[in-house]
Amino acid sequence: MSAEIELVGTFAEEEECVHAVDALKRNGIAFRVFSPIPSEHLLHAIGRGLSPVRAFVLIGGIAGVLTGIAVTVGTSWEWNLVVGGKPVVSWPPFIIIMFELMILFGGLSAAASFFLFAHLPQLDPIPGYSERFGADRFGIAVACEEADSAKIEALMREAGAEEIAHEDPRARTLEAH
Amino acid sequence: MSAHSQTPVPPKAPEMIPGGEGLRAPIALVAVCVILTLVGVAGFIAGVMTETEPHAWQAFLVNFLFFFSIAQGGVVISASFYLTQARWGGPGAYRLAESFYFFIPVAFVLFWILFFGRAELWPWVTKPVAKNPTWLNTPFFFAREGFALLAMTALDLWFVRISRRVDVRQWALSNDNIEMPPTAIRRIAPALAITYAAVMSLVAFDLIMSLAPQWKSTLFGAFFFAGAFWSGIVAMALTAVVLRGRLGAGNLFTRDTIMHDLGKLTFAFSVFWAYTLFAQYIVIWYGDIPAETFFLVVRGALIGGPAGYTIYTPWMIPTWTVPLLVWVVPFVVLMGVKPKKTPAILGTVAFLGLVGMWLERYVLVVPSITPHYVPFDWIELAVTLGFLGIFGLCAIPGMKLTIAAAMAPQVLEAAEK
Repeated sequence: MSAEIELVGTFAEEEECVHAVDALKRNGIAFRVFSPIPSEHLLHAIGRGLSPVRAFVLIGGIAGVLTGIAVTVGTSWEWNLVVGGKPVVSWPPFIIIMFELMILFGGLSAAASFFLFAHLPQLDPIPGYSERFGADRFGIAVACEEADSAKIEALMREAGAEEIAHEDPRARTLEAH
Repeated sequence: MSAHSQTPVPPKAPEMIPGGEGLRAPIALVAVCVILTLVGVAGFIAGVMTETEPHAWQAFLVNFLFFFSIAQGGVVISASFYLTQARWGGPGAYRLAESFYFFIPVAFVLFWILFFGRAELWPWVTKPVAKNPTWLNTPFFFAREGFALLAMTALDLWFVRISRRVDVRQWALSNDNIEMPPTAIRRIAPALAITYAAVMSLVAFDLIMSLAPQWKSTLFGAFFFAGAFWSGIVAMALTAVVLRGRLGAGNLFTRDTIMHDLGKLTFAFSVFWAYTLFAQYIVIWYGDIPAETFFLVVRGALIGGPAGYTIYTPWMIPTWTVPLLVWVVPFVVLMGVKPKKTPAILGTVAFLGLVGMWLERYVLVVPSITPHYVPFDWIELAVTLGFLGIFGLCAIPGMKLTIAAAMAPQVLEAAEK
C-alpha cells in the first residue's frame, strides 16, 4: 500500500462512531473500526452480514450426530450381542450419544471457526489500535496519503471525533503501545 | 449497583398505566363463555347420571389439570420474569403472563368436586394399596391436596397483587437502569417458584400417578410442572397473537421483538419438556421392569424393545401425537427467526401446542382407568367446552389489564428503547 500515514480517530459515543463510518463509506474510504463492546449498530453500519461461524456450528452439529450414529450402530453391528433382551441396535440410548456428540462437535467447531474468522491469536498489534479501544473508546483507523488526510480528518471531526492522531505506520513497534 | 433500598421508589404518576376500568368485555364473548359453561355443566351432570363408565369424571380431571396448569403456569412465568429481571415487554409481559390468574381460586373450588368422583377415578379408594395405605387414603389425600392448593392459591393472589403495585409496574417500565425489582416482589417471587415446584409435584403424584398406584417415576412431578410452565407460555403466545390484530395499530404485540421473545420461550421450554419426558422414558426403557413398563405399554409408547416387542394399542395415536405437537412441531417450525416473528406461524404453533398439552393430560390420566380403548365421546367434548367457558370468564379481569398495558403510551414508549 502506498499509504503514508495512519489517521486514528477516537470516539466517546457509539453513535458518533457510526456516523463517521457512514461518512467514510459514502466517500469510498477504506477503514478499520475498533469497538470496546460488541455493537450491532456498528456491525450494521460497516455492512457486515451474519457471522460465518453459524454455518460451521451447523456443520459440526450434523457431523456430531452422524458420528454418534456411526459409533453406536457400528459397534453394535460389529459385536452383534443381545444385551438385556433388547435388539442389537436399540435406538433410545443411542439418541443420548448422538445428542452429546452433536453438542461437542458443534461447540468445538464454533470455537475453532471463531478463532479462524476472528484471525486469532493476533500476536502483532493491528495498525491504529490503542488500549483505550479495549476499554471505553471507539476508534477508526484510516490508512491514507498525507495529501488526503485533511479531508478525512474533517469527516471524522464532523461526525464527533474526540481526537485524531497521526501515526507513521513504519514507526510502529510493540513498545509503542 | 446496590439496589437494596428499603424505601420503595416513590411513584411518579400513579395513573401512568391505566387499569382496565374503561374496558368492557365484548358481550358476545361473555355470552359464548356462559353458553359453553352451561353446556359443560349439563354434559357433566348428564355424564355422571347416565353413563356407567366414569367418562365425565375423567374429563373433569383432565380439564381441571389442563386449565389449572395454564393459569398457574402463567403466574409462575410472571414470577420467573421478576427472578430474571425481565423487562423486554415492560409491564405488558407481566400482565400477559398473569392474564388467567383468576382461574386459580376457581380451580381450588372445582377441585372439591373431584371428592365426589373419587371412587370412580382412583382405584385405591375402593381397593387400598397394601404397600402404602397411610399415604393413599381418602382423608389424608384430600387434606394434603386441599392444603397444598389453598397455599398455592393464596400465594398466587398475594403475588399478583404485589405485581400490580405502582412501584413494581414503574420498575418494569423503566429499562434504562439496572435497578433490581422492588423488595416485596423480590421476596415473594422465589417463594412462589419453590412452592409451585412442590405443589405441582404433589398434584402430579397424587392426582395423576396414583391413578396407577403401582407405577412411579421420581421425575414425574418435574415433568408435570415443566409442561404446565410451557402451557402457560403457549397460552401467552396465542393470546398475544390474537390481541395483536384486535387492539389497533401500534399496540405492544405488534412489535416484532415481543413476538420473537415469545417464540424463543415457546421453543426453549418445549425442548425442556421433551428433555424431562425422555429422561423418564430412557430409565424405564433401560430397566425394562414390568412394574414400570406397563405404564408405557398401555399407552403404546414403548417401542424398540426386544425384537417384535412393540405393542400396538388404541392409545398409540394419541400418545405419539403429544410429542409431535409439543416438541417436534415447535422445534422444527420455530427454529428460525422469521417464523418466530410471523404471528400466523407462532399462533398456529401455540394453538397446536395447547391441543398437544390437553392431549398430554388426557393420555396421562385416562389410560390408567380405561386401558383397552379410547373412551372419547360427547361427554368429554361437553366438559372440555364447559371448562373453556369458565376459563374464558375467569380470564376477563386479567385480560382487561393486559389490554390496557398493551395499549398504554408509556409502555409503548418504553418498548421503543
